[in-house]
Amino acid sequence: MTSTLVLPWVALVLVVFVAGSIWRAWRYARAPMHLRWDLYPVAHEPAPRRDHGGSYLEEREWWTRPRERSLLGEAVFMAEEILFLKGVRANNRRLWWGSFPFHWGLYLLVLTTVGIFLGVAGWRLPLDSGLLSLGALTGGGLVLAGSVILLVLRSTDPKLRPYTAPVDRLNLLFLALFGALCVGVAVRYGLGHVVTVLSGVLRGHEVRVGRLLAAQMAVGGLFLMYMPFTRMVHFFAKYFTYHDVRWDDTPMEPGSPLADRLAAALNYGVDWSAGHVRTGKTWAEVATTLPDEEKGGKA
Amino acid sequence: MENAPRPASREELNRFLTEHEGVDPRRLVPLPFPYEDWEDAPIPELSEDKRSRIEVGPDGVAAAQIKVPADDEERDRRVAAFLEGLAKLFTKENNWTFLQPLMLSMENCVKCQTCAEACPIYTGSGRMEAYRPTFRAEVLRKIVNRYLKPGGRILPGLRGNDVELSWDVLVSLAELSYRCTLCRRCAQTCPVGVDNALITREIRKLFSQELGIAMPELHETGTIKQLTVGSSTGLNPAGLADIMEFAEEDIQEKTGLDITMPFDVEGAEYLVMHNAGEFLSWPENLQAFAIILELAGVSWTLSSELVGYDSVNYGLFYDDVQYSRIALKHYEVARKLGVRKMMVGECGHAHKALMPIADRLIPEQLRVRTESCLVVLEDIVVNEKILLDPSRNDFPVTLHDPCNITRSMGIVEPQRKILRKIAPRFREMEPHGVHNYCCGGGSGFAICQSMNFPDWRTRVSGRLKFRQILEAFSDCIEPETPKYVCAPCSNCKGQMRDLLNYYEAWDRCGILYGGLVELIVNAMVDVREGFVEWEMH
Repeated sequence: MTSTLVLPWVALVLVVFVAGSIWRAWRYARAPMHLRWDLYPVAHEPAPRRDHGGSYLEEREWWTRPRERSLLGEAVFMAEEILFLKGVRANNRRLWWGSFPFHWGLYLLVLTTVGIFLGVAGWRLPLDSGLLSLGALTGGGLVLAGSVILLVLRSTDPKLRPYTAPVDRLNLLFLALFGALCVGVAVRYGLGHVVTVLSGVLRGHEVRVGRLLAAQMAVGGLFLMYMPFTRMVHFFAKYFTYHDVRWDDTPMEPGSPLADRLAAALNYGVDWSAGHVRTGKTWAEVATTLPDEEKGGKA
Repeated sequence: MENAPRPASREELNRFLTEHEGVDPRRLVPLPFPYEDWEDAPIPELSEDKRSRIEVGPDGVAAAQIKVPADDEERDRRVAAFLEGLAKLFTKENNWTFLQPLMLSMENCVKCQTCAEACPIYTGSGRMEAYRPTFRAEVLRKIVNRYLKPGGRILPGLRGNDVELSWDVLVSLAELSYRCTLCRRCAQTCPVGVDNALITREIRKLFSQELGIAMPELHETGTIKQLTVGSSTGLNPAGLADIMEFAEEDIQEKTGLDITMPFDVEGAEYLVMHNAGEFLSWPENLQAFAIILELAGVSWTLSSELVGYDSVNYGLFYDDVQYSRIALKHYEVARKLGVRKMMVGECGHAHKALMPIADRLIPEQLRVRTESCLVVLEDIVVNEKILLDPSRNDFPVTLHDPCNITRSMGIVEPQRKILRKIAPRFREMEPHGVHNYCCGGGSGFAICQSMNFPDWRTRVSGRLKFRQILEAFSDCIEPETPKYVCAPCSNCKGQMRDLLNYYEAWDRCGILYGGLVELIVNAMVDVREGFVEWEMH
């Protein structure tokens, strides 16, 4: 592979990955306000209430009390989930043995990639190229091992197999290949070489890119471009499922942005077809009038 | 115990959707002493006549009571209507109420099955595949991916979009949406935050709001009747007046207290919202509330206005339009009376309907602040605003946590503080609090008394709850020791009544059920002893 392709490829991958992720996150973020659907325990409740899964609704005249939110509680919950996959460990230990190394492998590869970019940017790294190589080696190895374990589980476990589509297996194979290539690059060239290649490319130099590195960049790039359009975006979708749904316990206050959003939603037109709905009206009209059926007539 | 058959492949999984497999009683989760030898009869099959008119789910059970279409043309028309409704489910205009949570849950499930073991119906049934929390969600996901998404029919097998839509598939999907109590225990364990109960509710909603298909007890004799007559029980204002008169006489007779039920008192501190089911099935609950509030000096009132005297809102379980109509009506009544606050009585779904869910629906001009009765009662009991003698409650008591009050609202400790104060032999079930098991009657199941659904409900959805109750009382399980399951929720009590009757728990173990306020009054010094009546009702 000639180095002239490297820069456009990296740029393309970054653009597609970032744009795809933003598009996906934007769809969730711009969705209209929804009715509350809290689920307890809620991590930002202050202790000791959080410990028994309580909410501010346990307080007499809760609306007169200052709302306390524990950011520390949320941070601890998220850290335990991200670092230890606590929920999976507690409720699905068998899967955790594959999922835990797999996710840690990805974390290490992300950190290593950050290190590479810092190196390319000319930072004197606190981590030398040897440590970067160790990151790629360990991260790639864990991704490879985790993917293989997950692949085996998804192919043999009677609970998982019927819910696993061929595309799910292909995704795991793809990730296993990527992990293996990361290991290969770390062993064959060392990450210092990767920093040198990318630096050279950025400075417009003609640099030789080895086949293994080219393959790793191709597979990694394809994976990154594909990921935002799959369920693998749960790494940021999880932010919304927790903060915007399970932990969204903010009560409506007069004149608040929520009140404005409710007013807008009540003006949406409804066109559900069942007789009792009264299609063609706004939500406010539908909710405040009864269909003929309920007045004793026929729908 | 042997588990139910599992599908070996995706193809076989799809067959589980339409091929009938009834619940095998031998696979139900075993019960402890004295029920080791208990034998459940199979769930009865519907008669040929009923089968010719009513569709059944893949387990042979009928809840939604879907009429059999007259011909293929009608089948095709309904399938097309379903697809139209499905598209509406993903538009902000038609579904702003739950669009974001629905999108998140539909698009991010990693199918790890972590949720399965949390489901009391799946595990209680002996792990029947059709009851797995992801099963019905995955069917809907496959239909959405195949029929709604651009290019969804390209390589459907490779991508897992392998469910072909048909009337039979729709019947199974609709029926299976009534095999989940929406307890949300599965959602608690999901590492991604996916909520299969929410998806189940959205399926019910789609069938109701687009095709007019819903469990009749929720719709025709539920929300429709409530909006027309005033209460899903059929109780009209005249009947209500009779019941209240009777309640006053009954209080006088049982306790020696002269209490007048306050009605339509403008400017009262509280409008108390009871589930009208209490008035008919458990009038002692209504009476106990009146005794406590009067003796604690609380300013309160009931409403005699249509819908205002029944806190029930079954729309919460299946239909956003019906939910909104009833919730708005409740708040209109409170606002018109000029009360300072509303207090929700012992009804779990009314708590959720009137508090967190209504919070994002009621416009400013109708807003009235709302509190749980459990919080008000805690204040009265713990701060000794009434005189109590806990020794009057010297019998084993355990607490059932209504899912809507605990898991969906985080009201966990007030009821416990009360019980610790008034019931010296109180003990917890395991698990409890926000991790409790549903009674098995949630999401409207407790009121469904038709077809073979009650048989399913007592054997399958309530199985783990009954096991929990037995385990909580294992040290005193003999029938000579009367025991009390405190269930501060009307629907839960309905399920408890059916469960304890089915398992003959009063005769075999001396287990009775009731609400929280009855226990409080039973301990009140100013009330004649013996408010709790030890007979099955």
